[in-house]
Amino acid sequence: MKKTALVALAAGVATTLALAACTSSGTTSSSSAATGSADWILGTSDTITALDPAGAYDIGSWNLQYSLFQQLVVMPANSATETPDAAASCKYDDPKTLTCKLKANQKFSNGDVMTSKDVLFSMQRNLKINDPNGASTLLASISNGKTEGQDLAEGAITTPDDTTVVFHLNAPDTTFIKVLTTAAGSIVDSKVFPADKLLADASVIGSGPYALAAYKPGEQAVLKKNPNYAGDRMGKANQIFVQFYKDASPLKQAVSAGEVDVAWRTLSPVDLADLKTKGQQDVVEGQGSEFRYWVWGFNSAVGKEAAVRKAAAYLIDRDAIATKAYNGNVTPSYSIVPPGFAGQKDSFKTVYGATPNLEAAKKVLADAGVTTPVPLTIGYTPQHYGPNAVDETTQLMNQLNASGLFTAKMTSAEWKQYQTLYKQNAYDLWMLGWYPDFLDADNYLAPFLVKGGFFKNGYNNDQVNSWVGAEQAETDTAKRATILGQLQDQAAADVPLIPSWNGKNIAVSSKKVAGVKDTLDPSYIFRMWMVSKSG
Amino acid sequence: MLLIIPMMWVLLTMVFILLRVAPGDPVSAAVGGKLDPTVIAARRASLGLDRPLIVQYFEYLGQVIRLDFGKTLSDNRPVLDIIRDNGGATLTLTIGAFLFALVIGIPLGLIAGRRRDSIADVLIRLFGVITYAAPIFFVGLLIQMFVARPLGLPTSGIASPRTQFMVGSAPKTHILLFDAALSGDGNAFMDVLIHHLLPCLTLGLLVCGVFIRLVRVNILQTLQSDYVEAARARGIPENKVIRDHAFRNALVPVVTVIGLQAAMLLGGAVLTENTFNWPGLGTQLVHYIEALDYPAVQGLVTFFAAIVVVVSLAVDVINALIDPRVRYR
Repeated sequence: MKKTALVALAAGVATTLALAACTSSGTTSSSSAATGSADWILGTSDTITALDPAGAYDIGSWNLQYSLFQQLVVMPANSATETPDAAASCKYDDPKTLTCKLKANQKFSNGDVMTSKDVLFSMQRNLKINDPNGASTLLASISNGKTEGQDLAEGAITTPDDTTVVFHLNAPDTTFIKVLTTAAGSIVDSKVFPADKLLADASVIGSGPYALAAYKPGEQAVLKKNPNYAGDRMGKANQIFVQFYKDASPLKQAVSAGEVDVAWRTLSPVDLADLKTKGQQDVVEGQGSEFRYWVWGFNSAVGKEAAVRKAAAYLIDRDAIATKAYNGNVTPSYSIVPPGFAGQKDSFKTVYGATPNLEAAKKVLADAGVTTPVPLTIGYTPQHYGPNAVDETTQLMNQLNASGLFTAKMTSAEWKQYQTLYKQNAYDLWMLGWYPDFLDADNYLAPFLVKGGFFKNGYNNDQVNSWVGAEQAETDTAKRATILGQLQDQAAADVPLIPSWNGKNIAVSSKKVAGVKDTLDPSYIFRMWMVSKSG
Repeated sequence: MLLIIPMMWVLLTMVFILLRVAPGDPVSAAVGGKLDPTVIAARRASLGLDRPLIVQYFEYLGQVIRLDFGKTLSDNRPVLDIIRDNGGATLTLTIGAFLFALVIGIPLGLIAGRRRDSIADVLIRLFGVITYAAPIFFVGLLIQMFVARPLGLPTSGIASPRTQFMVGSAPKTHILLFDAALSGDGNAFMDVLIHHLLPCLTLGLLVCGVFIRLVRVNILQTLQSDYVEAARARGIPENKVIRDHAFRNALVPVVTVIGLQAAMLLGGAVLTENTFNWPGLGTQLVHYIEALDYPAVQGLVTFFAAIVVVVSLAVDVINALIDPRVRYR
């Protein structure tokens, strides 16, 4: 290399660095001046699978879709009852027929008028596309039920006029209206979206409070207020920047440095404790519906023994798990259904008590003639449910071993392998987590209790299967609550799984931001339209 | 040159096999905690993942030959779009890191070589070992905490959200730094440049340790060579001997090492990008590995490998140009 070239290179780099350093403060102030308006920045580590409602079944994608699209009905914050959004009204004529009337003169963000045909089109394409990452399974009540060639069932949706949509369900299903509140029920523009394939993310057009101004996968989504939206979810900020973070560490650094105004999902308990201590940002907590539980394998020699399952239910110390493994950021759970849902009962507290009961555990094992200590293999996955999963498992293992009734050992596998292993009966007891698809107790009962649940643990109780069908068909709220209670009582009696805790819905926000607390509820819908930032 | 073809074939085959022997599949990675096993099986079938591996393998090779990397399974993006949209960020990160490595590593190596066994030499060697051995994510975290925050520098990202939106939404080159420069907006350009500082420094520190040791050793060797002794004997001042005779020759092996460092830089870029939330190919690669997205991982690893091969080839050519001893006949 020539001497002059080397000198020039060094001088160039030095000049750049000097220039950058000199203008650092200027740019920062320019940047902060720019964000001093009502526009605000959300940082999240959630990933986006698709912005087309037919292509996603994850919290990250759904949360953007809630801002971009309307559904016929929506879940207001901190409410368990849906209210109309695109619809003026939605009512069951009978448990198999739901009629919705659209509000008149609604438009998509591109000016196209929304009609009942768009609703029919949206549901049909979701089923027809049947995307591997999509949530078409939630529309089973209007599906033709075919694995190959899935489509809308014949006559499942009729549109007598431009503003009327009638759903004719395959079977009585009073939870279907709750499904319509999810992003799977989003209404898309039939003039823009293809009928048989997904639309490119950057091209999506909806009628929600915000329209997509720009989208770079994994980096940024920019939302601009939709001038055609006239519903009840009117956005407060004109523009919202959503910045995507790979994981919690840079997100924590960004919110600490004020680079994002709100950090929502997901900071670690340690990061949250640190931010709380420093007090420069608000750590805002709302009720959550994340559910962590331990599944018994009924196909294992240990798990099929009812007395063993009950003994463990007597011994688990949920308070210790919540405080020692999660720094108090979770709430002990005593039912499959989280608090706040209609029909919820703390059945496990009633049967097994709120605190560990060693004597009762000894008695139930002795009465059944079970030889102690019982060898037990506990499974968990170290990453998928966050870094504290190992702490939780260690807590449970120690609690069981300390009783002298069990010789428990814990074993782990990465998420992909874990799913295979627990279905192959590699564990007697294993950890799983759940976020609801829609806010109804049924979404915690049917997936877990009917014919071995989605995790196929081998549990099957005809009475339970029948009650699930009954509560889904019941329109009388009081009667339905009774059936839901029976289901939870039966789950506590049979112990196919042991509830562990319910997560809180936590965000960290700048002190200039308002409205975050109002949206943090069990639905895990981050209602961006409710959030504002002062200058 | 022809060795590139079998090399790439072995690499493609290894990536294909390793992804398939890893437990799970893209469908269960995405919705495995939600759906019934029969539904998951149906979804796997719809993606063609239930077909014999050999069929999938030859289909994959055929696509690569046609330079068709397909679409990702987890979010339906063409893999070539990912390379186009995110490659620029990795490019500017690695070039910036390389400049930092040169600017820090070469002068320090020179000082250490000239002052052998002095306190300065010991400290510089120690610095070189530490920067080479310390994990990037740890160095990055320290820099974020102890450099970025006190100086008010950005801790993550390639630009502030507003700049990213204004410049990035109408890309001309898909390299944000260049697009910012082309936009004519000085603030936007400086914003992107400032965001480059700490990630480039972090990655540059990794490579500068190599340069420090290399330049130091070469300086020591050249200072003991006959032509340097001859120069000294002719009464040429020591500074001029070092500058004109020892230093220039000591730099020749550095050019060779640059080629070897390309792979190290790209590997380090993956970790740096994740630490600084940098929107480059490394971040994308980690994301798609976690999703077990076969086409994405295969496409990106192939691209990374091709880059390393091309850089190595270019360095060989440059080496032959500047050093007559290694010219091919």
